[in-house]
Amino acid sequence: MNKTKKLVASISTLLTRRRISHPSSSSLRCNPLATIASNSQTDLNPVKPLAVSIRRLQFSGRAFSSESSDKRSSSVCCWNCGFSSEKAAFLFCDSCRSIQPVDDSVDYFQIFGLEKKYELEGGSLEGKYKDWQKKLHPDLVHNKSQKERDYAADQSAKVTEACRTLTKRLSRAMYKMKLNGKNINEEETVTDPTLLMEMMELREAIAEADDSKELNQIQSQVQENLKQWSDSFADNFESQRFDEAVKCIRRMTYYEKACEEIVKKL
Amino acid sequence: MMIRQAAKKALGITSRQSTPCSVGIFRSYHENVIDHYDNPRNVGSFDKNDPTVGTGLVGAPACGDVMKLQIKVDEKTGQIIDARFKTFGCGSAIASSSVATEWVKGKAMEEVLTIKNTEIAKHLSLPPVKLHCSMLAEDAIKAAVKDYKEKRVKTNGA
Repeated sequence: MNKTKKLVASISTLLTRRRISHPSSSSLRCNPLATIASNSQTDLNPVKPLAVSIRRLQFSGRAFSSESSDKRSSSVCCWNCGFSSEKAAFLFCDSCRSIQPVDDSVDYFQIFGLEKKYELEGGSLEGKYKDWQKKLHPDLVHNKSQKERDYAADQSAKVTEACRTLTKRLSRAMYKMKLNGKNINEEETVTDPTLLMEMMELREAIAEADDSKELNQIQSQVQENLKQWSDSFADNFESQRFDEAVKCIRRMTYYEKACEEIVKKL
Repeated sequence: MMIRQAAKKALGITSRQSTPCSVGIFRSYHENVIDHYDNPRNVGSFDKNDPTVGTGLVGAPACGDVMKLQIKVDEKTGQIIDARFKTFGCGSAIASSSVATEWVKGKAMEEVLTIKNTEIAKHLSLPPVKLHCSMLAEDAIKAAVKDYKEKRVKTNGA
Protein backbone atom coordinates (compact mmCIF):
# COMPACT_ATOMS: atom_id res chain seq x y z
CA MET A 1 0.00 0.00 0.00
CA ASN A 2 2.86 2.28 0.92
CA LYS A 3 4.60 1.46 -2.33
CA THR A 4 1.53 2.27 -4.40
CA LYS A 5 1.27 5.62 -2.65
CA LYS A 6 4.87 6.34 -3.58
CA LEU A 7 4.15 5.31 -7.14
CA VAL A 8 1.17 7.61 -7.39
CA ALA A 9 3.28 10.43 -6.05
CA SER A 10 5.88 9.94 -8.73
CA ILE A 11 3.33 9.64 -11.53
CA SER A 12 4.10 13.05 -12.95
CA THR A 13 7.78 12.22 -13.39
CA LEU A 14 6.91 8.85 -14.84
CA LEU A 15 4.52 10.33 -17.36
CA THR A 16 7.34 12.31 -18.87
CA ARG A 17 9.47 9.18 -19.20
CA ARG A 18 6.91 6.55 -20.14
CA ARG A 19 8.28 3.18 -21.14
CA ILE A 20 5.22 1.08 -21.56
CA SER A 21 6.13 -1.08 -24.51
CA HIS A 22 8.18 -3.82 -22.83
CA PRO A 23 8.07 -3.52 -19.07
CA SER A 24 10.82 -5.62 -17.44
CA SER A 25 9.90 -7.69 -14.39
CA SER A 26 11.42 -5.20 -11.95
CA SER A 27 9.97 -2.08 -13.46
CA LEU A 28 6.57 -3.69 -13.81
CA ARG A 29 5.76 -2.43 -10.32
CA CYS A 30 6.46 1.16 -11.36
CA ASN A 31 4.97 1.39 -14.77
CA PRO A 32 1.54 -0.22 -14.64
CA LEU A 33 0.19 2.47 -12.36
CA ALA A 34 1.60 5.05 -14.73
CA THR A 35 -0.29 3.27 -17.44
CA ILE A 36 -3.44 3.49 -15.35
CA ALA A 37 -2.90 7.15 -14.57
CA SER A 38 -2.05 8.11 -18.12
CA ASN A 39 -4.99 6.10 -19.36
CA SER A 40 -7.36 7.84 -16.99
CA GLN A 41 -5.98 11.20 -17.95
CA THR A 42 -5.78 10.84 -21.70
CA ASP A 43 -8.53 8.36 -22.56
CA LEU A 44 -12.17 8.93 -21.96
CA ASN A 45 -13.11 5.30 -21.50
CA PRO A 46 -10.46 4.05 -19.17
CA VAL A 47 -12.47 1.20 -17.66
CA LYS A 48 -11.38 -1.70 -19.86
CA PRO A 49 -7.66 -0.89 -20.07
CA LEU A 50 -7.77 0.11 -16.41
CA ALA A 51 -9.19 -3.28 -15.43
CA VAL A 52 -6.54 -5.06 -17.49
CA SER A 53 -3.79 -2.94 -15.99
CA ILE A 54 -5.05 -3.52 -12.47
CA ARG A 55 -5.18 -7.23 -13.09
CA ARG A 56 -1.63 -7.08 -14.42
CA LEU A 57 -0.54 -5.11 -11.37
CA GLN A 58 -2.26 -7.56 -9.03
CA PHE A 59 -0.67 -10.45 -10.83
CA SER A 60 2.74 -8.90 -10.65
CA GLY A 61 2.16 -8.09 -6.99
CA ARG A 62 1.32 -11.71 -6.26
CA ALA A 63 4.33 -12.90 -8.21
CA PHE A 64 6.57 -10.72 -6.12
CA SER A 65 5.08 -11.65 -2.78
CA SER A 66 5.66 -15.32 -3.46
CA GLU A 67 9.39 -14.71 -3.78
CA SER A 68 11.75 -14.51 -0.83
CA SER A 69 12.07 -11.36 1.22
CA ASP A 70 15.45 -10.66 -0.39
CA LYS A 71 13.75 -10.29 -3.74
CA ARG A 72 11.00 -8.11 -2.30
CA SER A 73 13.46 -5.36 -1.50
CA SER A 74 14.89 -5.56 -5.01
CA SER A 75 11.67 -4.20 -6.46
CA VAL A 76 11.88 -0.91 -4.59
CA CYS A 77 11.64 2.34 -6.52
CA CYS A 78 13.29 5.63 -5.75
CA TRP A 79 10.86 8.12 -4.19
CA ASN A 80 12.37 10.90 -6.22
CA CYS A 81 12.86 9.66 -9.74
CA GLY A 82 11.09 6.31 -9.77
CA PHE A 83 14.24 4.48 -10.77
CA SER A 84 13.85 0.91 -9.63
CA SER A 85 16.76 -0.90 -8.12
CA GLU A 86 17.72 -4.54 -8.13
CA LYS A 87 19.97 -4.12 -5.13
CA ALA A 88 19.12 -5.86 -1.87
CA ALA A 89 20.02 -2.77 0.14
CA PHE A 90 18.64 0.24 -1.66
CA LEU A 91 19.87 3.09 0.51
CA PHE A 92 20.94 5.54 -2.14
CA CYS A 93 19.68 6.10 -5.67
CA ASP A 94 22.62 6.31 -8.08
CA SER A 95 20.36 7.64 -10.79
CA CYS A 96 19.23 10.89 -9.14
CA ARG A 97 21.65 10.79 -6.17
CA SER A 98 18.97 10.96 -3.54
CA ILE A 99 18.98 9.18 -0.20
CA GLN A 100 16.23 6.68 0.38
CA PRO A 101 14.17 6.21 3.54
CA VAL A 102 15.19 3.41 5.89
CA ASP A 103 13.72 0.05 4.94
CA ASP A 104 13.46 -2.12 8.03
CA SER A 105 13.47 -5.30 6.01
CA VAL A 106 17.05 -4.64 4.96
CA ASP A 107 19.39 -6.33 7.39
CA TYR A 108 22.98 -5.48 8.26
CA PHE A 109 24.48 -8.19 6.08
CA GLN A 110 22.67 -6.85 3.05
CA ILE A 111 23.93 -3.32 3.68
CA PHE A 112 27.50 -4.53 3.33
CA GLY A 113 26.69 -6.93 0.56
CA LEU A 114 27.72 -9.91 2.63
CA GLU A 115 26.33 -13.38 2.78
CA LYS A 116 24.38 -14.07 5.91
CA LYS A 117 27.15 -16.20 7.33
CA TYR A 118 28.67 -15.84 10.76
CA GLU A 119 32.26 -15.97 9.50
CA LEU A 120 33.39 -12.75 7.87
CA GLU A 121 36.42 -11.95 5.78
CA GLY A 122 38.32 -9.31 7.65
CA GLY A 123 38.88 -5.82 6.32
CA SER A 124 36.05 -5.53 3.85
CA LEU A 125 33.68 -3.87 6.32
CA GLU A 126 35.72 -0.73 6.92
CA GLY A 127 36.03 0.16 3.23
CA LYS A 128 32.37 -0.38 2.48
CA TYR A 129 31.39 1.57 5.59
CA LYS A 130 33.37 4.59 4.41
CA ASP A 131 31.88 4.33 0.93
CA TRP A 132 28.37 4.37 2.34
CA GLN A 133 29.06 7.30 4.63
CA LYS A 134 30.40 9.32 1.70
CA LYS A 135 26.95 9.03 0.20
CA LEU A 136 24.73 9.04 3.27
CA HIS A 137 26.28 11.17 5.95
CA PRO A 138 24.06 14.05 7.15
CA ASP A 139 26.97 16.50 6.95
CA LEU A 140 27.08 16.06 3.20
CA VAL A 141 23.45 16.82 2.47
CA HIS A 142 23.08 20.47 3.45
CA ASN A 143 21.66 21.40 0.05
CA LYS A 144 18.94 18.82 0.12
CA SER A 145 15.37 18.97 1.41
CA GLN A 146 14.52 18.47 5.08
CA LYS A 147 12.93 15.15 4.25
CA GLU A 148 16.10 13.91 2.62
CA ARG A 149 18.25 15.19 5.44
CA ASP A 150 16.09 13.17 7.83
CA TYR A 151 16.56 10.11 5.65
CA ALA A 152 20.30 10.75 5.70
CA ALA A 153 20.38 10.90 9.49
CA ASP A 154 18.43 7.63 9.80
CA GLN A 155 20.37 5.76 7.12
CA SER A 156 23.73 6.93 8.35
CA ALA A 157 22.88 5.83 11.90
CA LYS A 158 21.72 2.45 10.64
CA VAL A 159 24.90 1.90 8.65
CA THR A 160 27.03 2.85 11.67
CA GLU A 161 25.07 0.47 13.86
CA ALA A 162 25.41 -2.24 11.23
CA CYS A 163 29.18 -1.81 11.04
CA ARG A 164 29.51 -1.87 14.81
CA THR A 165 27.35 -4.96 15.16
CA LEU A 166 29.10 -6.94 12.47
CA THR A 167 32.66 -6.01 13.44
CA LYS A 168 32.64 -7.62 16.88
CA ARG A 169 32.21 -11.38 17.00
CA LEU A 170 29.90 -11.40 19.98
CA SER A 171 27.47 -8.81 18.66
CA ARG A 172 27.53 -10.51 15.26
CA ALA A 173 26.62 -13.80 16.88
CA MET A 174 23.76 -12.24 18.81
CA TYR A 175 22.52 -10.48 15.69
CA LYS A 176 22.54 -13.74 13.72
CA MET A 177 20.48 -15.38 16.43
CA LYS A 178 18.07 -12.47 16.38
CA LEU A 179 17.70 -12.68 12.59
CA ASN A 180 16.74 -16.29 13.02
CA GLY A 181 14.10 -15.34 15.52
CA LYS A 182 16.00 -16.82 18.44
CA ASN A 183 16.04 -14.04 20.99
CA ILE A 184 18.41 -14.61 23.86
CA ASN A 185 16.85 -14.17 27.27
CA GLU A 186 19.17 -11.75 28.99
CA GLU A 187 17.20 -11.52 32.22
CA GLU A 188 17.70 -15.07 33.37
CA THR A 189 20.39 -15.52 36.00
CA VAL A 190 23.24 -17.81 35.07
CA THR A 191 23.79 -20.59 37.57
CA ASP A 192 26.16 -22.93 35.77
CA PRO A 193 28.77 -23.56 38.48
CA THR A 194 31.66 -24.54 36.22
CA LEU A 195 31.27 -21.51 34.02
CA LEU A 196 30.91 -19.15 36.96
CA MET A 197 33.84 -20.64 38.88
CA GLU A 198 36.04 -20.22 35.84
CA MET A 199 34.93 -16.62 35.36
CA MET A 200 35.38 -15.86 39.05
CA GLU A 201 38.92 -17.20 38.96
CA LEU A 202 39.63 -15.29 35.75
CA ARG A 203 38.42 -12.02 37.19
CA GLU A 204 40.38 -12.63 40.39
CA ALA A 205 43.49 -13.27 38.35
CA ILE A 206 42.95 -10.02 36.48
CA ALA A 207 42.43 -8.13 39.71
CA GLU A 208 45.55 -9.59 41.27
CA ALA A 209 47.80 -9.21 38.21
CA ASP A 210 50.42 -6.62 38.98
CA ASP A 211 52.25 -5.87 35.77
CA SER A 212 51.24 -5.40 32.19
CA LYS A 213 53.16 -8.50 31.12
CA GLU A 214 50.93 -10.69 33.23
CA LEU A 215 47.85 -8.87 32.00
CA ASN A 216 48.87 -9.28 28.39
CA GLN A 217 49.36 -12.96 29.01
CA ILE A 218 45.90 -13.30 30.45
CA GLN A 219 44.51 -11.23 27.61
CA SER A 220 45.95 -13.46 24.92
CA GLN A 221 44.60 -16.47 26.75
CA VAL A 222 41.15 -14.93 26.85
CA GLN A 223 41.34 -13.94 23.17
CA GLU A 224 42.17 -17.52 22.35
CA ASN A 225 39.22 -18.76 24.34
CA LEU A 226 36.99 -16.24 22.59
CA LYS A 227 38.11 -17.52 19.20
CA GLN A 228 37.51 -21.08 20.28
CA TRP A 229 34.01 -20.40 21.50
CA SER A 230 33.31 -18.25 18.49
CA ASP A 231 34.11 -21.19 16.23
CA SER A 232 32.01 -23.40 18.46
CA PHE A 233 29.13 -20.97 18.05
CA ALA A 234 29.43 -21.05 14.28
CA ASP A 235 29.41 -24.81 14.34
CA ASN A 236 26.39 -25.06 16.63
CA PHE A 237 24.52 -22.42 14.70
CA GLU A 238 25.03 -24.15 11.38
CA SER A 239 23.85 -27.42 12.87
CA GLN A 240 20.84 -25.66 14.39
CA ARG A 241 21.87 -26.57 17.93
CA PHE A 242 20.54 -23.28 19.21
CA ASP A 243 20.69 -24.07 22.93
CA GLU A 244 24.36 -24.83 22.61
CA ALA A 245 24.78 -21.70 20.54
CA VAL A 246 23.27 -19.63 23.34
CA LYS A 247 25.73 -21.19 25.79
CA CYS A 248 28.58 -20.19 23.49
CA ILE A 249 27.27 -16.63 23.39
CA ARG A 250 27.10 -16.58 27.19
CA ARG A 251 30.72 -17.60 27.48
CA MET A 252 31.75 -15.10 24.87
CA THR A 253 29.96 -12.35 26.84
CA TYR A 254 31.98 -13.22 29.92
CA TYR A 255 35.25 -13.33 28.04
CA GLU A 256 34.52 -10.00 26.41
CA LYS A 257 33.81 -8.49 29.81
CA ALA A 258 37.10 -9.87 31.10
CA CYS A 259 38.90 -8.32 28.12
CA GLU A 260 37.33 -4.97 28.90
CA GLU A 261 38.56 -5.21 32.47
CA ILE A 262 42.08 -6.01 31.30
CA VAL A 263 42.06 -3.07 28.92
CA LYS A 264 40.92 -0.80 31.72
CA LYS A 265 43.77 -1.97 33.88
CA LEU A 266 46.44 -1.69 31.23
CA MET B 1 44.17 1.89 54.61
CA MET B 2 45.62 -1.52 53.78
CA ILE B 3 42.37 -3.24 54.60
CA ARG B 4 40.55 -0.89 52.30
CA GLN B 5 43.08 -1.59 49.55
CA ALA B 6 42.61 -5.29 50.07
CA ALA B 7 38.86 -4.87 50.08
CA LYS B 8 38.99 -2.84 46.91
CA LYS B 9 41.17 -5.45 45.28
CA ALA B 10 38.77 -8.16 46.29
CA LEU B 11 36.00 -6.18 44.72
CA GLY B 12 37.95 -5.89 41.52
CA ILE B 13 38.57 -2.20 41.92
CA THR B 14 42.14 -0.99 41.83
CA SER B 15 42.18 2.75 42.13
CA ARG B 16 40.12 5.74 43.05
CA GLN B 17 39.89 6.53 39.33
CA SER B 18 37.50 3.67 38.86
CA THR B 19 34.87 5.38 40.97
CA PRO B 20 31.54 4.81 39.28
CA CYS B 21 30.65 7.54 36.84
CA SER B 22 27.13 8.90 36.50
CA VAL B 23 24.52 6.61 35.08
CA GLY B 24 22.87 9.45 33.22
CA ILE B 25 23.43 13.15 32.81
CA PHE B 26 21.39 14.13 35.84
CA ARG B 27 21.43 10.87 37.72
CA SER B 28 24.28 9.66 39.87
CA TYR B 29 24.64 6.79 42.25
CA HIS B 30 22.57 7.02 45.39
CA GLU B 31 24.54 7.79 48.57
CA ASN B 32 23.78 4.28 49.88
CA VAL B 33 25.43 2.77 46.84
CA ILE B 34 28.48 5.01 47.18
CA ASP B 35 28.63 4.14 50.88
CA HIS B 36 28.73 0.42 50.14
CA TYR B 37 31.30 1.00 47.44
CA ASP B 38 33.61 3.09 49.63
CA ASN B 39 33.03 1.13 52.82
CA PRO B 40 32.39 -2.39 51.69
CA ARG B 41 31.13 -4.65 54.38
CA ASN B 42 31.68 -8.39 54.52
CA VAL B 43 34.02 -8.69 51.57
CA GLY B 44 35.86 -11.98 51.49
CA SER B 45 35.39 -15.71 51.41
CA PHE B 46 34.72 -18.65 53.62
CA ASP B 47 36.12 -22.07 53.01
CA LYS B 48 33.51 -23.54 50.73
CA ASN B 49 34.25 -27.05 51.96
CA ASP B 50 33.25 -26.06 55.46
CA PRO B 51 30.00 -27.91 56.20
CA THR B 52 28.49 -24.89 57.90
CA VAL B 53 29.00 -22.74 54.80
CA GLY B 54 26.61 -22.33 51.93
CA THR B 55 27.94 -20.79 48.70
CA GLY B 56 25.81 -19.07 46.12
CA LEU B 57 27.47 -18.34 42.78
CA VAL B 58 25.41 -16.46 40.22
CA GLY B 59 26.01 -14.54 37.03
CA ALA B 60 24.21 -11.97 34.93
CA PRO B 61 24.28 -12.96 31.25
CA ALA B 62 23.70 -9.50 29.87
CA CYS B 63 26.62 -7.72 31.50
CA GLY B 64 28.98 -10.57 32.34
CA ASP B 65 28.87 -9.92 36.09
CA VAL B 66 29.74 -12.62 38.65
CA MET B 67 28.50 -12.61 42.23
CA LYS B 68 29.49 -14.96 45.03
CA LEU B 69 27.63 -14.85 48.32
CA GLN B 70 28.50 -17.15 51.21
CA ILE B 71 26.62 -17.76 54.45
CA LYS B 72 27.79 -19.36 57.64
CA VAL B 73 24.98 -21.17 59.40
CA ASP B 74 24.65 -22.21 63.03
CA GLU B 75 23.82 -25.88 62.69
CA LYS B 76 21.79 -26.04 65.89
CA THR B 77 19.56 -23.05 65.38
CA GLY B 78 19.57 -22.80 61.59
CA GLN B 79 20.40 -19.11 61.88
CA ILE B 80 22.85 -17.35 59.61
CA ILE B 81 25.65 -16.10 61.82
CA ASP B 82 27.93 -14.58 59.22
CA ALA B 83 28.10 -13.77 55.53
CA ARG B 84 30.69 -12.83 52.94
CA PHE B 85 30.52 -11.70 49.33
CA LYS B 86 32.73 -11.23 46.33
CA THR B 87 31.34 -9.48 43.27
CA PHE B 88 32.85 -8.55 39.94
CA GLY B 89 30.59 -6.05 38.30
CA CYS B 90 29.24 -2.54 38.40
CA GLY B 91 28.79 -0.39 41.51
CA SER B 92 25.12 -1.34 41.75
CA ALA B 93 25.93 -5.05 41.70
CA ILE B 94 28.58 -4.64 44.37
CA ALA B 95 26.27 -2.59 46.57
CA SER B 96 23.39 -5.03 46.10
CA SER B 97 25.46 -7.99 47.23
CA SER B 98 26.91 -5.98 50.10
CA VAL B 99 23.41 -5.09 51.30
CA ALA B 100 22.40 -8.72 50.94
CA THR B 101 25.19 -9.90 53.25
CA GLU B 102 24.18 -7.31 55.81
CA TRP B 103 20.54 -8.27 55.73
CA VAL B 104 21.02 -12.05 56.02
CA LYS B 105 23.12 -11.87 59.14
CA GLY B 106 21.26 -12.96 62.27
CA LYS B 107 18.23 -14.20 60.37
CA ALA B 108 16.85 -17.68 59.93
CA MET B 109 17.32 -19.35 56.57
CA GLU B 110 13.63 -19.46 55.80
CA GLU B 111 13.38 -15.78 56.57
CA VAL B 112 16.16 -14.72 54.19
CA LEU B 113 14.45 -16.55 51.37
CA THR B 114 11.74 -13.90 51.58
CA ILE B 115 14.15 -11.04 50.90
CA LYS B 116 12.97 -9.52 47.63
CA ASN B 117 15.07 -7.78 45.02
CA THR B 118 12.61 -4.89 45.08
CA GLU B 119 13.50 -4.18 48.71
CA ILE B 120 17.21 -4.10 47.91
CA ALA B 121 16.54 -1.90 44.89
CA LYS B 122 14.46 0.48 46.95
CA HIS B 123 17.10 0.71 49.66
CA LEU B 124 19.70 1.64 47.07
CA SER B 125 17.36 3.69 44.86
CA LEU B 126 18.48 1.69 41.87
CA PRO B 127 17.40 3.03 38.48
CA PRO B 128 15.38 0.69 36.22
CA VAL B 129 18.42 -0.21 34.13
CA LYS B 130 20.15 -1.61 37.25
CA LEU B 131 17.26 -3.58 38.69
CA HIS B 132 18.78 -6.81 37.43
CA CYS B 133 21.65 -6.28 39.90
CA SER B 134 19.27 -6.52 42.84
CA MET B 135 17.67 -9.56 41.22
CA LEU B 136 21.11 -11.13 41.05
CA ALA B 137 21.60 -10.50 44.79
CA GLU B 138 18.27 -12.13 45.59
CA ASP B 139 19.23 -15.13 43.45
CA ALA B 140 22.61 -15.30 45.20
CA ILE B 141 20.96 -15.51 48.63
CA LYS B 142 18.67 -18.29 47.43
CA ALA B 143 21.56 -20.14 45.83
CA ALA B 144 23.61 -19.95 49.05
CA VAL B 145 20.76 -21.33 51.16
CA LYS B 146 20.12 -24.07 48.60
CA ASP B 147 23.78 -25.04 48.58
CA TYR B 148 23.89 -25.27 52.37
CA LYS B 149 20.78 -27.41 52.50
CA GLU B 150 22.11 -29.76 49.83
CA LYS B 151 25.37 -30.12 51.72
CA ARG B 152 23.47 -30.97 54.88
CA VAL B 153 21.49 -33.65 53.08
CA LYS B 154 24.73 -35.14 51.75
CA THR B 155 26.47 -35.19 55.13
CA ASN B 156 23.39 -36.56 56.86
CA GLY B 157 22.87 -39.15 54.16
CA ALA B 158 26.51 -40.24 54.19
